[in-house]
Amino acid sequence: MEYAVISIGHYSPCTLQIFVCTERVGLISGTVTSWFSESQTDKQEATFIFKRPWCRISTFDSMPVMDEAFVTLATNDVYSQGALVVGQCLRRHGTSRQTVVMVGPHVSQGERAALARVFHHVKEVDVLDSSDRAHLTMMGRPELGVTLTKLHCWALTQYTKCVFLDADTLVLCNVDELFDREELSAAPDPGWPDCFNSGVFVFRPSLQTHDRLLQWAREHGSFDGGDQGLLNSFFSDWATQDISKHLPFIYNLSTSAVYTYLPAFQQYGGEAKIVHFLGAVKPWHCKYDRQTGEVTLRDGAISRSHLGLFLNLWWVEYCQHVVPSFMETDTCQESGRHNQKESRVQHPDHSSRLLLAAPAEAVSQAESKACVLAYETESVEVTLNEDPHCMPQKEDLSLYTEKSFTPTAPNEMRTKPEDTPPGDEGGASEWTHPHDPPPNEESGASESGIFERSQSGEPPLELTASISELAVHLKPEEDDLERRRRWEEGRADYLGEDAFDNIKKKLDKFLK
Amino acid sequence: MPLARSLSMTSLSGLEDWDEEFDLEDAVLFEIAWEVANKVGGIYTVIQTKTRLTSEEWGENYFLVGPYMESNVRTQVELIEPLNPALKRTIDKMNSSGCKVYFGRWLIEGSPYVVLIDVAFTAWSLDRWKSELWESCGIGVPWFDREANDAVLFGFLTAWLLGEFAAQCEEPPHILAHFHEWLAGLGLMLCRQRRLPVATIFTTHATLLGRYLCAGNVDFYNNLINFNVDKEAGDRQIYHRYCLERAAARCAHVFTTVSQITAIEAEHLLKRKPDIVTPNGLNVKKFSAMHEFQNLHAQSKNRIQEFIRGHFYGHLDFNLDKCVFLFIAGRYEFSNKGADVFLEALARLNYLLRVNHSELTVIAFFIMPARTNNFNVETLKGQAVRKQLWDTAQTVKEKFGKKLYESLLVGQLPDVSKILDKEDFTMMKRAIFATQRQCQPPICTHNMLEDSSDPILNCLRRIGLFNSSADRVKVIFHPEFLSSTSPLLPMDYEEFVRGCHLGVFPSYYEPWGYTPAECTVMGIPSVSTNLSGFGCFMEEHIADPSAYGIYILDRRYRSVDESCNQLTSFLFQFCQQSRRQRIIQRNRTERLSDLLDWRYLGRYYVSARHMALAKAFPDTYYYESQDPTSKQGFRYPRPASVPPSPALSRHSSPHHSEAEDEDEERYDEDLEAEKDRLNIRQPFSLPYRNKSALPYVTPVSNGNSTPSSTTSPPSSITSPPSSVSSEKN
Repeated sequence: MEYAVISIGHYSPCTLQIFVCTERVGLISGTVTSWFSESQTDKQEATFIFKRPWCRISTFDSMPVMDEAFVTLATNDVYSQGALVVGQCLRRHGTSRQTVVMVGPHVSQGERAALARVFHHVKEVDVLDSSDRAHLTMMGRPELGVTLTKLHCWALTQYTKCVFLDADTLVLCNVDELFDREELSAAPDPGWPDCFNSGVFVFRPSLQTHDRLLQWAREHGSFDGGDQGLLNSFFSDWATQDISKHLPFIYNLSTSAVYTYLPAFQQYGGEAKIVHFLGAVKPWHCKYDRQTGEVTLRDGAISRSHLGLFLNLWWVEYCQHVVPSFMETDTCQESGRHNQKESRVQHPDHSSRLLLAAPAEAVSQAESKACVLAYETESVEVTLNEDPHCMPQKEDLSLYTEKSFTPTAPNEMRTKPEDTPPGDEGGASEWTHPHDPPPNEESGASESGIFERSQSGEPPLELTASISELAVHLKPEEDDLERRRRWEEGRADYLGEDAFDNIKKKLDKFLK
Repeated sequence: MPLARSLSMTSLSGLEDWDEEFDLEDAVLFEIAWEVANKVGGIYTVIQTKTRLTSEEWGENYFLVGPYMESNVRTQVELIEPLNPALKRTIDKMNSSGCKVYFGRWLIEGSPYVVLIDVAFTAWSLDRWKSELWESCGIGVPWFDREANDAVLFGFLTAWLLGEFAAQCEEPPHILAHFHEWLAGLGLMLCRQRRLPVATIFTTHATLLGRYLCAGNVDFYNNLINFNVDKEAGDRQIYHRYCLERAAARCAHVFTTVSQITAIEAEHLLKRKPDIVTPNGLNVKKFSAMHEFQNLHAQSKNRIQEFIRGHFYGHLDFNLDKCVFLFIAGRYEFSNKGADVFLEALARLNYLLRVNHSELTVIAFFIMPARTNNFNVETLKGQAVRKQLWDTAQTVKEKFGKKLYESLLVGQLPDVSKILDKEDFTMMKRAIFATQRQCQPPICTHNMLEDSSDPILNCLRRIGLFNSSADRVKVIFHPEFLSSTSPLLPMDYEEFVRGCHLGVFPSYYEPWGYTPAECTVMGIPSVSTNLSGFGCFMEEHIADPSAYGIYILDRRYRSVDESCNQLTSFLFQFCQQSRRQRIIQRNRTERLSDLLDWRYLGRYYVSARHMALAKAFPDTYYYESQDPTSKQGFRYPRPASVPPSPALSRHSSPHHSEAEDEDEERYDEDLEAEKDRLNIRQPFSLPYRNKSALPYVTPVSNGNSTPSSTTSPPSSITSPPSSVSSEKN
């Protein structure tokens, strides 16, 4: 069983729609008040526990737009971490549009499951079994492999308009206004501003355009070997024709630009809406120490620059919102197998489950009390005595100094729910504003798996090859299950822990 | 007679004594394999043929354990109630605990008892068992590998069966469990992990990884020591299977493989040296008539000749009596089965025969099933044309005979000029005209689906063997299994093999190699390699294999080019034998069949079982050859202590027989058969130099006049490459 808790504060009478993942599980019509009275509570605040962690509450005035979507692309398991962050950010900032992730054939089942939890739609794209034309282009120009995968976004014709976001972007606030733009709108590339950067662009899916693009690719190739060169030569009038198709740079703030014009960054950087980690160093190539909130670059240098600031933001997003969903995945899988684990799964205060994206405006600051909506089986009571702080709709960069990150991470990332009795106020803690000191620091510090380990000299978090490596750092007991899960997916770590020598040691125990 | 002889051929020291030492009264043997009463691949043949001997030895205490497959059970198993009370209780207990276990007799030779377990019925336990497997040894099994999941179920069920049986026996008997292949291996591991009172044997017939590596065109044997086995298995997505296999090898009391070459493979890939090599045998059919197999050869050869007549119609410019039929057969694995080497050697042989103006024609058959589109019209037409000629000749003959008869009736000698009239000549001329053809005789008998990418056809195109009339080597590619109902070549495989002169199997990867073994039993000489289990076995047991029609190609220590040269020289030597020499050679080959009979080879299994019993129950059983020195004999190919006999390395059959041809009375088959016993190599003594091998010193001195006198002197045969180069001059 999985639950997600949604807290809403005082709410004016309206219709609520509740979304679980991509499907709408319920429409609560009438007024909130009347609905609350149905559930035997006369309080005007509620906490719902749902079967899935990612829920949305929308009101009529932010009705979901079904025919427009944000699209991102994950070609492998590492990039899918980036995609998860993109999707998670979009949700958290309350987009009313659909979210779509295109996955390449090499993305593992586990990652797909995680992506499906965050995105409305996970679409597998594989050039090799796509239309003849794509295939032919592939044959003629094999070097364009990944590029052609990206072009598949034009085939998403169930949407009328889409915004493409690279998996190495970080969305800092609601950017739904991008849908007011036309194809093809994009921000200038910092290296050659007459070209647009293809990390963020607005487009209209159309099979016709898709075909023309493929034909173009076959005939002209790409001058930089990637999608950006191809798209720039295809949409060659972007630079000169219509200024409304020039997105402001804050919608695609390349991290490399920070260095080239530092004063401008200092002046306008605070308005950034989407950060793009352009270049060789991606956030997941760095190491992140949750204890100190420091991001270490590959070469071991601690990044204290402005780049480091963004890397830090990425990692906070990742640790707070994406990693918990993995643990959710695990517990979900375990529960099917091991009955003994169920009690733990039902713990409502699992920090990760208490995260949710509710549109900020919808959540008032009013005093809240909980009401529990239990799906399927037993209902679990949770009381939220504390004021839940809503996430600011747009993070204020000035708040996020390195200093201010430091205290946040530890208590938010408690990962051992068994140690916390149900109903204790730990459940509320993750709503703590970054500036707040953790309310139950003493318990949090002593029982958490990961922070203890990082204190005792464990290596900091690193996302080099896949999320599975990350999971290894999470928890010793999860480790075993995680390893087994990887075996079952055919991804045993045969060069590391699962080497036959270790199996042999186990065998030799009973052969004695 | 043959049995007595084969007993003395043993290379296992002390083997004879065990029968008295080992009291099997209170021992029970379970033989566990996925292919018990379930044909999937070659293991089925091994188990099915071996069973007769094993049932004779163990009687009522022998049980085969396999999976329950309804279609197989319906056709080959008679379900009965178990007679053994303990086993009956075991099966009842398991059936009442949610399993489906069947008991019956397998209707094959020896009609052994079988315990068949319905694996699918207990699939609901899969998750629990996989967790247990994970807890106990840290091996996980991917959900998508159905075969491996079946192996998990089968393993847990067999371990359950054995454990339950041990518990049900009032006085625990000595249980011996013999597991074949990785699919059954998990049961072994669990027996050890649960510390069941079971002596265990694990036999691999090939290693998983070896198969994968060779299929991937890896330079396998040269890198055998260097492979990072975990990585190779993991990269090929078979890590879990490999772990199961290696774990079973690790846990077994006794680990065996089918040949020396697989033993080396296992030592490096599974990291355990097999305790004993247990070669695969055959059930040899004994003919009542002495040289029945020679008659069968002649019969079958005639039928192949008929086919050749039709196939080459219009181009029959060679003498069918001076024709040698070679063949290669097996799964279509172009390089693993050595078709590449064979083709190359054929091209070189063609050259040699042409420069020597040989009258001999070599016809090489490739029987390897590939994807086809049914028969080629041209080949079918060939057979039709031949039939038409035959019919014409019959009609003319009848008329001729009638006229002859009538003329004799009236007391006159027939007038030869009138006996065939104009009409007959017209008919015959028309028939002859029908045999004209412009195109070359076809190579392939079928329409290939992948004609342009087929490796054999492409290789033939490259080396230019197109069945032209100048070629002394003709090639026929039959890309389908043989069948007695075929309109083209209506013979089954056995008949076909009997009709050929030489089987050529220059395989690169061949853990055992039933094809050359079958040839041997039918008295047909064959070429195998020192990378095939069969070749290793013969090399170890026979001092001069080629004299017996067992040509062993060195593919292990030589480059491909050198191997091709060696094969060319084997083929060339073979072609130069006279008909009589070939007959003698076939007699010798056929005599080796005792060596391949389970009655002899079963002994290796017997000793493996004794070894396991002695290891598991040291208080009850004692196994003599525990010290490593005496085990060396059957664990290493060609013991270093034995100096190679000159007969082995220098000479091959033509020279023996040639010498005998000078003095025909010297060939006495019974005498030679008697001597064979001595020619079979004893690993622990100096090899006996066979008397029949002596005369080859002489032929050079007394200018010999046999038809094969063109043979190069023996010295030039010493190293095959040199012999080839000398022939070119």
